[in-house]
Amino acid sequence: MSNVLQLLTRSDYLLRETVLGLKRGGWMNWAAVSTVTVLLFLFGMSVQASWQIDRILAQFGNQLEVSVYLDTGIQAADLQPTVAALPEVIAVTPVSKEEAWSNLLQEMGSSEIRGATEQLNGNPLVDELKVKVKGAAEVPTLAGKLKALPGVDAVQYVDEAVQRISQLNQGLSWLSLGMITVLSGTAIAVINTTIRLIVMARRREIEVMQLVGATTTWIYLPFILQGLMLGVVGALVAWGLITGVQEFLASLLQQQSEFIQFLTSASPLSWQQQVTLPLALLGLGCSVGLLGSLFAVRRFAVK
Amino acid sequence: MSVTTDRSPTSSFGQPPSSGSSLPPSTQATEVAIDLEQVTKVYANGHQALLGVNLRVTKGEFLFVTGPSGSGKSTLLKLLYGEEKPTQGQVIVNGNAIVPLKGNQLSKLRRQIGIVFQDYKLIPRRTVLENVAFVLWAQGFTRKEIHRRLMPTLKMVGLQDKADCFPHELSGGEQQRVSIARAVVGTPQILLADEPTGNLDPDNSQQVIKILQRLNAIGVTVIVTTHDEHLVRQSHHPVVQIREGHLFRVRG
Repeated sequence: MSNVLQLLTRSDYLLRETVLGLKRGGWMNWAAVSTVTVLLFLFGMSVQASWQIDRILAQFGNQLEVSVYLDTGIQAADLQPTVAALPEVIAVTPVSKEEAWSNLLQEMGSSEIRGATEQLNGNPLVDELKVKVKGAAEVPTLAGKLKALPGVDAVQYVDEAVQRISQLNQGLSWLSLGMITVLSGTAIAVINTTIRLIVMARRREIEVMQLVGATTTWIYLPFILQGLMLGVVGALVAWGLITGVQEFLASLLQQQSEFIQFLTSASPLSWQQQVTLPLALLGLGCSVGLLGSLFAVRRFAVK
Repeated sequence: MSVTTDRSPTSSFGQPPSSGSSLPPSTQATEVAIDLEQVTKVYANGHQALLGVNLRVTKGEFLFVTGPSGSGKSTLLKLLYGEEKPTQGQVIVNGNAIVPLKGNQLSKLRRQIGIVFQDYKLIPRRTVLENVAFVLWAQGFTRKEIHRRLMPTLKMVGLQDKADCFPHELSGGEQQRVSIARAVVGTPQILLADEPTGNLDPDNSQQVIKILQRLNAIGVTVIVTTHDEHLVRQSHHPVVQIREGHLFRVRG
């Protein structure tokens, strides 16, 4: 505890040495910072993409409807309470065959309902229930249950596309995890080299420090702080880039069709997500910086 | 080697921050600063630097260690500040056995020892003032304390006007005086000088020795290695000589 206090009261030393060290690093600093930036940029973008796809999926899930076509002669209103009682169901809208018929004819551009009906010897459609389901995962089970109900002729739902997107999302997550692991290794290696060069450049000073009784922590803490700084700067730049790209995409989207706008901007990022991303970037940046400099310093300090 | 002195081991700069607990209870009338018992140092390449050396230096003493180059003078000093470990025997500095010390314990002990090198070991890209202050920063002194100590120390070695010069702008003698200032600014109780006059002309050598004597006069235990017989003859301090790994008493 007293050590921590001592460090705080003498933080001007640490700050000065850290800045001095970074000056000695020269162009290597840029190599280190840009590696961290690339890593964190890709990390941030893949996290955002994953969130975006999740949101789109969630929209599909909420609006996912199962259409239940009833046997001829069965009234939609009769079956509605039974279906509404199922646990997976949020809402049930009955569509009578008359309603459906007139809608269909309207869509086809025919205004003479009576004429068309007579031509076909009556309304060819059946009553239908539009069932809203709680989540995408429950759709297949519910469909099975509905199919088993007496008076139900056919059950239709569209879950294949949603499942495909979900699989794609998972695949992308694995891919980006792999990429981030490899890039983290690269960033740690570059920071490690940078800090080692700085240590080399200051070997005379370190030798004198050791001879006059500076403790190992005192000598090497500035180097570890340098690594941390590189990570933090990388995180800040990456965060700036991600924000920029986001805004650019948003401005592009405004010129796009309504459907795409609907898909991408229906529900904005939650505030948790808005805070989580910069914190995650900072956390990953700091860890990479710390690990890189710790590895660099360890081989000098352990003697 | 038991020259009794009545000088107290305090210095004019005040106490160093870590000196309080380091003084062992002494069983003798005169406190022992340095004690070597049957110390042998054989390097990994087989070179026998020291063989069964015994040496006791009391606090406040001024001791010359002479001998030809490569006779083991530097090794003797390195054993004292823990740069080298003895192959056999005990090295005790200010009551602490050096051999088992590791890491931070060794760092703390080194704060009680100032070291002056033949090649000065100044940091090239820092000014005289920064070179001296560097020691204090390294030892964790506060900014205020550092400012309090700097000018008196530079004045003592006569370099108050060169505070903002870089080492390469100074003569050899001036650089060596910076190195002395750096060694004593942390107010160590013991000052080790390894061939401090080795690269200097007679005038500068005299000046350096005078500064060391002045420090000794305020209570610092001083050990100086040299192969300059002339310098040794000019003074009246005790002298030991190292020849082929053995220590011989010459004077005192």
